[in-house]
Amino acid sequence: MSAVQPPRALLARAPVSIIVMGSLLVVFVVVAVFAPLLAPFDPARQSLILRLRPPGSAGPHGMTFLLGTDDLGRDLLSRVIHGARASMAVAVASVSLSLVLGSALGMLAGWRRGWVEVVIMRFVDVMLSIPAILLAVLAVAVAGPGFQTLILVLGLTRWPRYARVAYAQTLQVATLPYIRAAELAGASATRLLLRHVLPNIAGPLLVVATAEFGLMILFEAGLSFLGLGIQPPTPSWGTIMSAGRQYIERAWWLTVFPGGCLFLLVLSVNVLGDWIRDRLDPRARTRG
Amino acid sequence: MLKRLGLAIFALLASSVVQAQPFRELVTIDLPNDAATLDPHLQWDTDSYAIYRNIFDNLVTRDATGRIVPQIAESWRQVDDTTITFKIRTGVKFHDGTALTAEDVVFSIRRIIDPVLRSPQLSQFDQIASADVTDPTTVTVKTKTPYPALMAQLVKLSIVPKAVVERVGAQAFNLQPVGSGPYKLRTWQRGVSITLDAVPDYWRGRPTFDSANFRVVPDVATRVADLQTGRADIVRQLGPDEAVRLKTDARLQVLSAPTERIGYMFINAMSGPTQDVRVRRAITHAIDRKTLIDALLQGYGNEVDIVLTRANFGYVDGIGGNAYDPAKAKALLREANAVNAPLSFLTSPAYDRRLVEALQQMLQEAGFRVDIQTMDHPTFLRRRQGRPDEAGSISLGRWSCACQDADGVIFPLFRSGSTWAKYANPDFDKEVDAARSVLDEAKRLVHYRRAFEILREDVPGLGLYQDYAIYGARREVRWQPTANEAFFLFDMRWQP
Amino acid sequence: MPRYLVSRLLQAVLTTFGVMTIVFFVMRLSGDPVLLLVPEGATREHIDALRRELGFDQPIWRQYLTFLAGLLRFELGVSVVQRIPAWDILASRIPYTLALAGAALVVAIGLGVPAGVTMAVWRGRWFERPIAALVVAGQSMPTFLTGILMIMLFAVTLRWLPSSGVEGPASVIMPAIALGMLSMSTFARMARIAVVDELGKDYVRAGLARGLSPGKVVARHVLRNASIPVVTIAALEIGNLLAGAIIVETVFAWPGIGQLAIQAIQSRDFLVVQAIVLFVSLVYVVVNLAADLLYASIDPRIRLGSS
Repeated sequence: MSAVQPPRALLARAPVSIIVMGSLLVVFVVVAVFAPLLAPFDPARQSLILRLRPPGSAGPHGMTFLLGTDDLGRDLLSRVIHGARASMAVAVASVSLSLVLGSALGMLAGWRRGWVEVVIMRFVDVMLSIPAILLAVLAVAVAGPGFQTLILVLGLTRWPRYARVAYAQTLQVATLPYIRAAELAGASATRLLLRHVLPNIAGPLLVVATAEFGLMILFEAGLSFLGLGIQPPTPSWGTIMSAGRQYIERAWWLTVFPGGCLFLLVLSVNVLGDWIRDRLDPRARTRG
Repeated sequence: MLKRLGLAIFALLASSVVQAQPFRELVTIDLPNDAATLDPHLQWDTDSYAIYRNIFDNLVTRDATGRIVPQIAESWRQVDDTTITFKIRTGVKFHDGTALTAEDVVFSIRRIIDPVLRSPQLSQFDQIASADVTDPTTVTVKTKTPYPALMAQLVKLSIVPKAVVERVGAQAFNLQPVGSGPYKLRTWQRGVSITLDAVPDYWRGRPTFDSANFRVVPDVATRVADLQTGRADIVRQLGPDEAVRLKTDARLQVLSAPTERIGYMFINAMSGPTQDVRVRRAITHAIDRKTLIDALLQGYGNEVDIVLTRANFGYVDGIGGNAYDPAKAKALLREANAVNAPLSFLTSPAYDRRLVEALQQMLQEAGFRVDIQTMDHPTFLRRRQGRPDEAGSISLGRWSCACQDADGVIFPLFRSGSTWAKYANPDFDKEVDAARSVLDEAKRLVHYRRAFEILREDVPGLGLYQDYAIYGARREVRWQPTANEAFFLFDMRWQP
Repeated sequence: MPRYLVSRLLQAVLTTFGVMTIVFFVMRLSGDPVLLLVPEGATREHIDALRRELGFDQPIWRQYLTFLAGLLRFELGVSVVQRIPAWDILASRIPYTLALAGAALVVAIGLGVPAGVTMAVWRGRWFERPIAALVVAGQSMPTFLTGILMIMLFAVTLRWLPSSGVEGPASVIMPAIALGMLSMSTFARMARIAVVDELGKDYVRAGLARGLSPGKVVARHVLRNASIPVVTIAALEIGNLLAGAIIVETVFAWPGIGQLAIQAIQSRDFLVVQAIVLFVSLVYVVVNLAADLLYASIDPRIRLGSS
């Protein structure tokens, strides 16, 4: 059975908190997409005589630094807005890459079994037993940091998490009578996997993906802390915070604003993810 | 000779003053990294150096003003252009009780230049052709050619006990070093801390601290917190912003000194748009050094107009030619037909991100397109020292030869054939080659002035600022850091 | 059963071999440590000579064979940077790493599982959302920030805990919280989902229908069955807790494997990196094997060797 419902039906039964979180996510997406139009200043524009100014300080041409300035005298609001773009782009792209790769390999392993299963799942073990941050630091050392490298590194190191979930779920689903029946009736494997298996395992995969979404933003932040994140002068929330931690006592705004945004974004993604997952899961839904 | 005698007397007086100072049981020092080795002939990073130099004595050392003064060598004499004899001090004992002799000095020199040891410091000492004991208290050192920087290099030569090293072997000696310095090793907990104990009957007097604990604390913010909570008495390697923060705490102080380390920008003269000398000159005029020093370094930097600091021999005044002049920079770019020329700015986490970004903006305002390429430090070094076409257009450097001599700075940086040089000018090579093979200081200075005049015209790199060493410490610590970034506990006093 | 074990162990050896091979080649692609070892002014001849002495001028396949030969003799080699055996360098860090990983796991499970169970059992109550927000907070703060904030609050301002180092059990509290917070969210979410799933099953409905109290049902049956995914997560997290604590260990000056790993990578101390990876992957394999065996004892329906 297919568990995908029309979006309107989903929304109609959504509690207030879900509507709030949903709107929040929409706001973040809009800000990220239209960053250049929304930012009051050029996020890279420095003014060394106006460094570390508190929120509300006067800027040039009668404008105001609403959230203050950073350690090079750049407008923090504009940097947080542009940072939303970079941070979310990294998270969305790397999660998508690892989700697609991991689900495909995991389903394949669970469906085909035999040597395909052994090869894929041992490779999953290999990847999982190397700590991702070590692999990322090594890969960045070889390839050099940058947006594409970051996404490739994150995507290619995180897929085993999805693969394990997809594999385990596929094993269960594959034994269901109607799937076996469809297989005997001559349905192609690709069609079976996409039409019948994937909708059944989408819930658990979504949970992993929403958890990973926040982690990927943190991952980029961690690499920024090690000096290997997104290239300056492009801001990301991670680069803003890792630069700002040096000034926690003198300039709290440098960490509080991007940190708050990150919290709200991760919160909304997680809450929405859990909610949609509960809707998708037939067993959980019968009870809710 | 008289001057040396005077200095020896001064040292004696100083050591008697030490006796009158109050002592302290334990001093705790936070370092960013653990020592890699405690064998002084093996490793060479600043953290290993800060620790093991307290365990060993050196052949010669520098006083607070930077002058080379006796330590294990009581005096020395230049016999001819390639020969120098050292009179070795008697009565100095290693920590195991045996006397330090001329044999140990010769052994130490031969050990560090022996390729079998694979000492990373070999290139600093390889001008030495031989070292021999000529009488029980005299060591004769011969160099391959006349080598004016020899004494400056010997400042870094620690004396190890021949008998112990030969008995236990290099690997065990690294773990249980025995020296003749004011402190001896008690414990080394790898990655955690190193504890040293004072040698009460040390020949220069009783050390101020009965023991010293060097702790490994990589994060600078944590080092500051350790200082604030009293976990550490002295912390190494602070940045200008941390220094500003510490000044608000009445219990703490900032100890700093201008060093021989030069902050400079490398400009690739062999590849990319910077092959055109007008583009390189435009870069010179696009950079506002004063604002960088005032706003970003918070004054912890001195302006320089050459790639050398005043703390180095060979510094010459009045070279000029690098005034901040954006209009001139733009004009030069137009003349070179290189407006919007793309510059790749190679950098690594070892360099101050803010400095990199500020320089990027200054260059962009002058009409360049600057693309910052960060990579991890080993990759950065590989590319910077690799082929000209992979070395990037520009990059930063913070260079110190720990020898306070121009020969250790502009020779490796710009002499053609060096791994760092992406520049070749036979006239420049002639001057720096000449300056490293005459002993007469006045003649050397003449060569260096000409060398710097050539660099001013060719701009294969430019000096940005003289770097400061910044330490945080408890109020009670009395210590003046020196230009060579030495960290001698023996020079510190405690005044409650 | 013995056949299952033998096959698992064989696969474990293969896994470890794969890990070592991948890391070997990625490491060698990243260059060698020679330029970091020599002083800044070293000449090209000296650099080349040292490279030859250390064997980094050999073709990569030959270096790989040398490395494999050493591995077969259980030799990890001598670090070219620190000049002592790589195993000794690693071994001195293992106690600290195990202490931190253990404490962090206590934090993560001790906070995460109760939070997850609470959210599942009392779904829709007013306190579900605040707990969810707290759980997410643990997963949305970079550790370099939580770390320094904790130091400033608990060490500098309140003076309750030491700001850094490894003196006494009090030292492990802040790093364990900083490290455990990340995994705490994962545990909470997994526990919540597992309990929600169990609650939807027929036996729970039947029990409730027979008049058993919900608390008893949860305590007796649901938690037992829901603990399988929690054990799985714990086993999967072990690699990250062991060597993924790079940032926490850097901030708190905790001398564990994570800090050693990043330093070894930055100084291209290949043999130390290899030793770390070998250790972590062996622990990972063993822990996951143990977790599989544990499933069988938690849930007798799972038969080993069925796959």
